[in-house]
Amino acid sequence: MDEEPERTKRWEGGYERTWEVLKEDESGSLKATVEEILFQSKRKRVIESHGQVRLGMMRHLFVVVDTSRTMDDQDLKPNRLTSTLKLLEFFVDEYFDQNPISQIGIITTKNKRAEKLTDLAGNPKKHITALKKAVDTTCIGEPSLYNSINLAMLTLKHMPGHTSREILIIFSSLTTCDPANIYDLVKTLKALKIRVSVIGLSAEVRVCTVLTRETGGTYNVILDESHFRELLMLQVKPPPASSSSECSLIRMGFPQHIIATTSDQEARPSFSMAHLDSTGGPGLSLGGYYCPQCRAKYTELPVECRVCGLTLVSAPHLARSFHHLFPLDAFKESPLEEHAGERFCQACQGELKDQSVFTCPVCQSVFCVECDLFIHDTLHCCPTCLHNQGAS
Amino acid sequence: MASEDEVSLLVIVLDVNPIWWGQQTQRQPEFTLSKCLDAVMVMGNSHLIMTRTNKLAIIASTCQESHFLFPSKHWSAGDGTGDDSVSAGGDGKYELLSVANDFMAEEIRALVARMEVKDQADTLLAGALAKALCYIHRLSKQLAAGQDMTSRILVIKAAEDCALQYMNFMNVIFAAQKQGVLIDACVLDSDSGLLQQACDITGGLYLKIPQRVALTQYLLWVFLPDSEERAQLVLPPSVHVDYRAACFCHRNLIEIGYVCSVCLSIFCNFSPICTTCETAFKIPLPLLKAKKKKVKPVT
Repeated sequence: MDEEPERTKRWEGGYERTWEVLKEDESGSLKATVEEILFQSKRKRVIESHGQVRLGMMRHLFVVVDTSRTMDDQDLKPNRLTSTLKLLEFFVDEYFDQNPISQIGIITTKNKRAEKLTDLAGNPKKHITALKKAVDTTCIGEPSLYNSINLAMLTLKHMPGHTSREILIIFSSLTTCDPANIYDLVKTLKALKIRVSVIGLSAEVRVCTVLTRETGGTYNVILDESHFRELLMLQVKPPPASSSSECSLIRMGFPQHIIATTSDQEARPSFSMAHLDSTGGPGLSLGGYYCPQCRAKYTELPVECRVCGLTLVSAPHLARSFHHLFPLDAFKESPLEEHAGERFCQACQGELKDQSVFTCPVCQSVFCVECDLFIHDTLHCCPTCLHNQGAS
Repeated sequence: MASEDEVSLLVIVLDVNPIWWGQQTQRQPEFTLSKCLDAVMVMGNSHLIMTRTNKLAIIASTCQESHFLFPSKHWSAGDGTGDDSVSAGGDGKYELLSVANDFMAEEIRALVARMEVKDQADTLLAGALAKALCYIHRLSKQLAAGQDMTSRILVIKAAEDCALQYMNFMNVIFAAQKQGVLIDACVLDSDSGLLQQACDITGGLYLKIPQRVALTQYLLWVFLPDSEERAQLVLPPSVHVDYRAACFCHRNLIEIGYVCSVCLSIFCNFSPICTTCETAFKIPLPLLKAKKKKVKPVT
């Protein structure tokens, strides 16, 4: 099982002289170095795209949160559990923003047992409410990796082949209490093509390294809270699909939004099918989305129709994922001194003051650092290329 | 009353498609591009007067480029004492407003002079909206500590939609939704499905103007109040937005369709190969029950 050579551990290497990064200029100020460090950290955020690789767009992800005794530790403020749950709320929002047709489920593990907090669902509100309520749970006992993965596997194994099945474990303890051999479970996971990734809060644990390596996931240990946030954000992007996942045509419905007012003669208030098992909140509403196959009513999309099983989405939901499929090329970076034209950013109309300017390879317009980040993170299209596209 | 800490930014995107405006001048000489610009100037001035901390930007969108009419490159905010010929209007008008109007007029004249008229009767709004979002992003980073900025974009659309820009338009709309920017639309001629979706997703207002001559009135009545004040006014009702998807093969709007799991293209009928990404699909066979083998009688 051990094909990779072991990396040298950090204490086995030589000394790292981290103070040599800081250099003073003639007057003794560190301003230039600090600006350089800030600039580098901004650039680090632009991650290279995968290129022409098939991505797993419809994802079923189970998040396993360790709620054992070690989560009471106060190295993340106010304690590890509260900090983790808050970051997970943010993660759930971002996840559904980038992958609107995917689903998440949450499992907690403590006291050598695993429990499902929320089932696999495509609606972020349910998960966020559950995460908010979970802040009060007591952290006792030891976690159980085997039980939590088993619980997730029971649901994931019935998911259709074209979706990507993933488990993300947030693991803070250094021990795990399993009823059976976990290496056998790893073999089963590989057979079912489930990808497991782990984010460790304490230190590197060998069983997690083997688990992630065998199933094709990633294992990282956090340094501090902002690093934790970055690692969670890395999980938001759709992973490259494994070569054995099937591609199929999925039948989906696109319901119309019917808006009715009380003055409308034929409008009658009715219950949404999604409220069948939820107890809180008013259930009656006038308009909504009607399933094209069975005419059941729902108030929000995307949802899976409980009556006929058809997945209901709206066209903007699918459009949200298009930027993963057609990613924007990275812009070419060049130093400010070499730039011959006007010192003027064509997107935000500001002056170019930073060290480098970015040029779009297609339309040759220049942008500043902030616009480059904004374009690649949020906008996903170059503002000036759009005109050339239409004119041809 | 808004305090010093609240900055409200209004970006007006004006569609300056030469073919549409040329035809419009022939159809209805009372409403030309200069009248439209007057209405936009009145709207801009009114917004700047409402609160001292309000900010304005105006972008003209043509087929080849989107150009900032205001603030233009040659103007910087601290430049109050610059040109005597520009600022001393002599009529007691607030200096910022007269400067803004003069710059706008100058820039639009230069833009129209250098514009090449190609054979394109539709408008490319996605580029102008993308630039507007970059500008908003830059200004939101430059705020003083403790200041809050709310921004909105008002699109004044004249010509038809261009179908090529659907994907980029949707990207821009989602970016606006993420940044909390409202997109309002004031449509002069024909209804635009893309703008209706934009207004619905970001929470803005969509209005097709019945009488173009009264553009100033509609702008001031409907689009001048910002989002908090709109809750207290009775504004035109929201339109019914058609969110059905169009299939990639025939461009018909469909209610139930098949979606390729790799490239998310939508088809109305089942086909064994996806035309966009050329993936062969597994055809789902009906599940057969395992037949029990019949024991052949031994002869």
